Amino acid sequence: MSATIQAVSQALGIPPGSVHEPRPGELRADVEPGTLRAAADRLVADLGARLASLFATDERVWNAVYALHQIWLLPRHWTFLRVSTRVDPAHRRFPSIAAKHPSANWFEREVMDMFGLVPEGHPNPAPVSLHDDWPDGEWALRKDFPDARQVPRVPGSSHPFRPVTGEGVFHVPVGPVHAGIIEPGHFRFGVAGEPVLYLQLRLFYAHKGTEKRFERLPWRHGIFLAESISGDTAVGHALAFAHAIERLSGCEPPPRARYLRVVLLELERIYNHLADIGAIATDVAFSVPAAHAQLLRERLVSLQERLFGSRLLRGTVAIGGVKLDLPNAGREELLAHIQRLQSDFESLVTLLIDSGSFTDRIDGTGTLPIEAARDLGITGLAARASGLDEDLRRDQPHDAYDALSFEVPVEEGGDVRARLMVRAREVEQSIGILRQALGALPDSPLRTAPPSELPAFSAALGWAEAWRGPCLHWVETDAYGALTRVKITDPSFRNWPGLAHAVPGNIIPDFPVINKSFNLSYSGNDR
Amino acid sequence: MFRILARSARTGIVTDPQPLAPRLHRGFPVIDFRRCTACGDCARACPTGAIQLRTDPARPGVSPATTLSLAYGQCISCRECIPACREGAVSVSSSFDLVAYTREQLVHRASFDVDASGRATFRQEESLPGPSLSESAATLAARIRGRFGRSLHVRQVDAGSCNGCELEIAATANPVFDLERFGIQFVASPRHADLLLVTGPVTRNMEIALRRTLEATPEPRAVVAVGACGCSGGIFGEGSYASLGGVDRVVPVDVYVPGCPPSPQAILAGLFVAMGIREARARPESPAPEAGTNQALSSAS
Repeated sequence: MSATIQAVSQALGIPPGSVHEPRPGELRADVEPGTLRAAADRLVADLGARLASLFATDERVWNAVYALHQIWLLPRHWTFLRVSTRVDPAHRRFPSIAAKHPSANWFEREVMDMFGLVPEGHPNPAPVSLHDDWPDGEWALRKDFPDARQVPRVPGSSHPFRPVTGEGVFHVPVGPVHAGIIEPGHFRFGVAGEPVLYLQLRLFYAHKGTEKRFERLPWRHGIFLAESISGDTAVGHALAFAHAIERLSGCEPPPRARYLRVVLLELERIYNHLADIGAIATDVAFSVPAAHAQLLRERLVSLQERLFGSRLLRGTVAIGGVKLDLPNAGREELLAHIQRLQSDFESLVTLLIDSGSFTDRIDGTGTLPIEAARDLGITGLAARASGLDEDLRRDQPHDAYDALSFEVPVEEGGDVRARLMVRAREVEQSIGILRQALGALPDSPLRTAPPSELPAFSAALGWAEAWRGPCLHWVETDAYGALTRVKITDPSFRNWPGLAHAVPGNIIPDFPVINKSFNLSYSGNDR
Repeated sequence: MFRILARSARTGIVTDPQPLAPRLHRGFPVIDFRRCTACGDCARACPTGAIQLRTDPARPGVSPATTLSLAYGQCISCRECIPACREGAVSVSSSFDLVAYTREQLVHRASFDVDASGRATFRQEESLPGPSLSESAATLAARIRGRFGRSLHVRQVDAGSCNGCELEIAATANPVFDLERFGIQFVASPRHADLLLVTGPVTRNMEIALRRTLEATPEPRAVVAVGACGCSGGIFGEGSYASLGGVDRVVPVDVYVPGCPPSPQAILAGLFVAMGIREARARPESPAPEAGTNQALSSAS
C-alpha cells in the first residue's frame, strides 16, 4: 500500500482498501454523502488538495441513483483523486462544499442547473448556466432528456443583479454582443463615476450542449468536437480527450507521437501568447508593438498551415497518436523560424516594458492576490501570475514532458503586468521545449491504433496543460462501450470568478486590458 | 520613441499585396465521382454528416438510384474521408475560398446506377434546386444597389461559435491581410454597420440577441454566415436543446463562407462577394497533388 493511498484514506476516513488506483495518476474513492464536507476540509488542509472539477452523472438506469463526483488534484502526491458519492433520486440533494471552498461555487450550481440536484448549504444557489427563459423542471444532462428536445421559452424571473444605491452610483450593462471581435457574454458593472464597485458576470450565451453532444457522437468522432470546445485551444482539448480515451482503453501512443504532441501544444501556447501580448498593447493604445505582435503571430500560424495543414492546428491530434508527421525539412524550417522568432520576441518585450507610459497602465492594474486565487480555485497562467506554482506539464507530465527540461515561470504581482510577464517568460520556455523536442524526435510510427471498442462501464480522466491552463476531460462508457458522459473542464470555468475579483477598485477604462490579460474563453466556459 | 520609429522602418511593409492569391492550403476535400463506387465508407467516416449516401429503391418507371453528396457548408476539413476511400477517389483540393449564396449551392452531388449485383456506376453530377450563383449574385446586387462597392462597415456577431472563426476574422485586420485597405472596417455597433458577419452555431441563448442585432442594422444590409457552424451547425449539428444550428435558422443569410475555421483569405473573399466585387465560387478546383503540403496527411490515419 502506497503512502499516497494511506494519506487519502485517512483524509476521507475510509479504509485504505476502499481507495482504488485504476491507473497511474488517478485515484478513486466512494464516500458516504454525509462525510463529503469533512472529507473536502481534510483533503485541502492535510494534503493541499485543489479542486479541479466537480460534476454529476445520472446512473439511475443501472444504479438507481445519481452520483456526484469531485476531482481533486493532490499536488504533493502527483495524482488526481476522484471522490464520488451517491445522490438519492427521491431527495435529489447533495452536501455543498462551496461555503468553505469557493472553488466549488460555479461547479455545484451547474450540477443544479443541468441535473436538478440541489447543493445543500450553498451560499448562493442561483442558476449559473441557465438563462432566465429556461423553464423549471427541465434538466438537460439527465439521461431521460432527449438531446434534440426543444424547450419552450418561459417569461421567467430576471436574473437578480446586485443592486447599487447612492448618489452617482449606477449600473453599466455590457454585452452579450460586444464592440470588438470577441465572444458573447454579459458584464454588469456597478460603478461610482469611473471606479468599479463590483463586476457581475452573466455567461453561457455560447452554451452549445457540447457535453450532451459527446454522448451522441461515436467516440472516434469526439476528437473533432473536442477541437471545437474552445477554438484557440484545439490542441489542448483534443489532447485531453485523446488522453482520456487512451487511458480508458490502454492505448499507448508511440514515442514520436508523444514528442510531436509536445511540439503542437507548445506552438499553440506561443501563438496565443503572442496574440494576447499584442492585444494587451492594443487595449492601452500602444499600436506599434501591437502590430508587431500580430505580425509574429501571423507568421507563425502561416508556418503552422504549411507544416501541419491547419493554421490553428486542427486535425493534428489523433486518438492513439498524431495524424501527421513532421519531416526533416519541416523540422529544419520550424527550428529556423523559432530562432528568428526568439530575437524578434525579445525586442518586442523590451519595447513594451521599457515604455513608462505602457507600464504605468499595467502595473498594479487588475490585481488578483494569491489568497483569492487559491480560494477561488484559479488555475493555469492566471494562477502562476498570482504566485501559485502549478503546471501539469511538470506536476503530472503527459506526453513527452517528463523527458524535457523547462522552468515554470511564476510571478508574484497578480496584476496585468504579472500575467503579461508569465506569458513572455512562457514563450521563452516554449521555444526551449520546442528545440529539445525537435532535436530528440524519436523514430517510430505515428499512431497506435485504438481498440475497435472501448471497455464497458469504465471511466478515465485525461488532462493537458494548454496555454490558458489545464484542460480536463473525464469520460465514462455505458454497457456497450459508448460514451455516456463526458465532463469537460476548461480552465476558463475556474478562472472567470477571478476576473470578477480582480476588477473592482479599478476604473472602467482599464477593464478591457484586465479582461485581455486573463483572456478567458467564453465557449470553453459555456460549452 | 526613436527606437519605435527605427523598428517600424526596419520592419518595412509586410502587407501581402495579393491576399487572395492561391497558396498552399488545407483545402476542402473533393470527390472524383467517376472513380466512386458509392460504397458509403466516406459518409460513415464523416463526423458532421457532410457526406451523405442515399439510396432510392426502384419505383415504377424509375430505376433504383444511389446519390452521394458532399455539403461543403458542413465540412470541417478533417480529412477523415480521404483515407476512408478504398478507391482513392477523395483527395484534397487547393481550394480554400468557397463562397456561395445558398446552402444548396455548396452541395456537390452525383447519382449512380446500381446493377443487379449491387455494383454502382457513376451516372451524372446533379445540382440541387434553387438559384444559380449568377442568379443569386444579381439578386443581391439589385438589393444592395451597389452601395457596398467602395466602403463596407462590418459588425461581427458571435452567435455561439467556439472562437476559432473569431480568431480568423480578427486576423483579416492584421498587418498581413489588412482589410481596411479595401475599404472594409469593423465597427462597434450594428447601427453603424452595412453588414453582419455572423458565426455560429446559433445558440438558444444568443438567438434573441442575434435577431435584435439584425433589427438594429439599417437597410440595405447583408448577412454573411461564417464557418461550418455558421453555415450549417457544423460538428454541433442542428436542433439540440442548446443550439439551433446554422445562422439561416434564425436570420436570412446572403452569403455563406464555409470552413472550420475559414482562413482569413476565405473571409475576405466572402466580404468581396457580398460587396459585389468578386464572383462566388462554390466548387473546389480539381485536386492539386501538392495541396496538402505533407503527404503524410492523407496516409497517417
